[in-house]
Amino acid sequence: MKIFLALITKELIGFFRSWGLVAVVLYSFTLDIYIAGAGIEMQAKNISVGYVDETGGGMSQKILSRLHMPEFQKPVMFNSREALSRSIYNRETMVGIIFESDFEKNLQKYKRAEINLLLDSISATQSFQALQYLQNILLEYADLKYPVKLKIHKLFNPNATTSQFMAMAEMLSVITLLGVILTAAVFVREKENGTWEIMLLTPVNPKLIILAKSFSQVIIVMAGVVMATGIVLFGAFDVPINGSLFAFFLLSFFYAFTSAGIGLFVAAVSKSMLQVAQLSILIMMPLIFLSGAWTPIHAMHPLLQDLSLISPLRYYIEGSESIFFRGTSFVDLWSYFAGVILLGSVLYFYGFRKIGRLF
Amino acid sequence: MNSGVIAAYILKEFKELLRSRMIAIVYILPTMIIILFGYGIRMEVTHARTLIIDNDRSKISQDLTVRFQNSKYFDTKVVTGITLKEALESIKRAKTDILIIIPDRFEKELLKREKPEIAVFVDGAFPVRASTMENYVKGVIFDAASTILKEKPKNLVTINNRNLFNQPMRDEDAIVPGLIGLILLVAPAILSALLIVKEKEEGTIFNFYSSAVSRGEFILAKIVPVFILHSINIFILFLWATWLFEVPFRGSFTLYWLSSELYILTSIGIGLLVSVITRSQIVAIVLTIIITIIPGFLYSGMLMPISSMSGESKIEAHIYPVMYYNHIIYDTFLIGQGLDSPKNRLYLVILLFYALFMLLLGSRLVKKETG
Repeated sequence: MKIFLALITKELIGFFRSWGLVAVVLYSFTLDIYIAGAGIEMQAKNISVGYVDETGGGMSQKILSRLHMPEFQKPVMFNSREALSRSIYNRETMVGIIFESDFEKNLQKYKRAEINLLLDSISATQSFQALQYLQNILLEYADLKYPVKLKIHKLFNPNATTSQFMAMAEMLSVITLLGVILTAAVFVREKENGTWEIMLLTPVNPKLIILAKSFSQVIIVMAGVVMATGIVLFGAFDVPINGSLFAFFLLSFFYAFTSAGIGLFVAAVSKSMLQVAQLSILIMMPLIFLSGAWTPIHAMHPLLQDLSLISPLRYYIEGSESIFFRGTSFVDLWSYFAGVILLGSVLYFYGFRKIGRLF
Repeated sequence: MNSGVIAAYILKEFKELLRSRMIAIVYILPTMIIILFGYGIRMEVTHARTLIIDNDRSKISQDLTVRFQNSKYFDTKVVTGITLKEALESIKRAKTDILIIIPDRFEKELLKREKPEIAVFVDGAFPVRASTMENYVKGVIFDAASTILKEKPKNLVTINNRNLFNQPMRDEDAIVPGLIGLILLVAPAILSALLIVKEKEEGTIFNFYSSAVSRGEFILAKIVPVFILHSINIFILFLWATWLFEVPFRGSFTLYWLSSELYILTSIGIGLLVSVITRSQIVAIVLTIIITIIPGFLYSGMLMPISSMSGESKIEAHIYPVMYYNHIIYDTFLIGQGLDSPKNRLYLVILLFYALFMLLLGSRLVKKETG
């Protein structure tokens, strides 16, 4: 045990001595998560609108005045359809509205009229949402007296802020990234420098060395998790915590071990840091994208759905989401814990064996 | 400059790259990313798992539920006699996306014009999906309601819309060209980031310090192999996009190819800069990943159009090269204005200067005693 602690201390000192690495890890657990959370916005917001008004104003201006923040920017007037269309082709305007000259007349005479809409639909989802916003605005304008009332509740994330969700997803990706790369680097660096042999000459069980080395990186990652949760998730984004925080840290701990296990495997098969870099990304990318952070699993291609069952990150993300947003009780989290622990021990054990065999 | 020396040096770098068995990964990685993301990211919502609790079981309420059952957007299950708590629990366990509750006496109140209330619960864990589903539900219910509307609406304005560039609003068309911009930013940067810092860490950089090779020759030898290897990816990615994902290609291939080459140079320049300023490989790797992947997503216009940005993010978008490249890429794939558009010409020139600037900056910072 004493040797174990000494080995961990050695690794931690080594980590803190490399200030560049400390800075990068600090950055990933704070600013990087903040930028992702604050920047990635998938809801259509602040949409640029241009219009050509061939009527004399009046009704058309009344409708335009209903387009406002946060959904729409202030509509910009264009003098001709060509100018409007040029702006859309240059992707400076996303929504182009054309009021034809008989618009107002139709509205007064027949109580109904049509506007022409040019929509840059390259960003399909955003364009679709923009269309929905516009339709809602026009329906409101028509002041239909519907015979039913609709009361819509959004559960778990009532204000539907993408930022909270993205910040959380980015934190989980950072944990994966650093868990894998840091662990792999610790071993490969010794391989590259040839200091492994010296370690093996010491009267310490190699298994203990491997365990202590990977454990030290788990500690670094966990410190980062605590920091990121406190400063970025709670501090900057006010992420709600409806479940038990302890459960989240416990789950993160198991997950950190899982990623360390992947790191061990990467370290065992690579000879240089270049290989570590490329292999880690090669393994991590599918892990992150099969996790359901970007697209819910049940909306994926069926083959990818099956594959996602073996991604430990999937269980981790679903578990964390349940803890933060859904407030699932500890007992009901067992499936996520089981998923992470099961895949984690398999990966860790495999990595452990693989790197142990080298000596 | 001595061309013989450069050629020999380039050959050496090439051999080292080939020997590191990483050549496969240079080609596997981009292909894997485009396939995973291309199939994996689904923004549009279909088959939302909907649970309708019909407490009324009248003709009108059944008319309404049938509308949900007939829509491809919903996978509807109509149940009776389960409690609200059980139903909410099913959302909590992520088994259901939408819960709709039709009250008893729904038909009676409707006919008496008492405005009965339908309650809808939507799983909000994925905000974009949540608001899309909300709008679907609104659409179906209001559409049904308007068929039994008594009075004629006044001021009804309908939309005659034309979807430009991505007429069927396919997710693939929206995402795949942007992915090329992400991949060609990340992959060459990572490969080149390690080139110099590796020599620093291993000490082999002293071979260069003490040799007669000049700084320019050294940099050239380092970047040429990466550039050539990744240039092939421009064609591979093009094939995946047009053949596998069936994204239309409406612009000029020359423009696509030319801007991609410039963009790869920019990416190599970023990697080079990281390689020069860091001291250990691990820092270089993590730093490169962090500074390329997130901005590659954020400022690609893939998730959010540049025109919707404001304030800081708009400024940041103009600082990174992604925006310029992606504007051209989306143009070549979906719009097809090519070099006729002054904006494309301007952005191409900006890319050129960006690449030159990054490479120059990187090579200026390499230390070498000149004597």
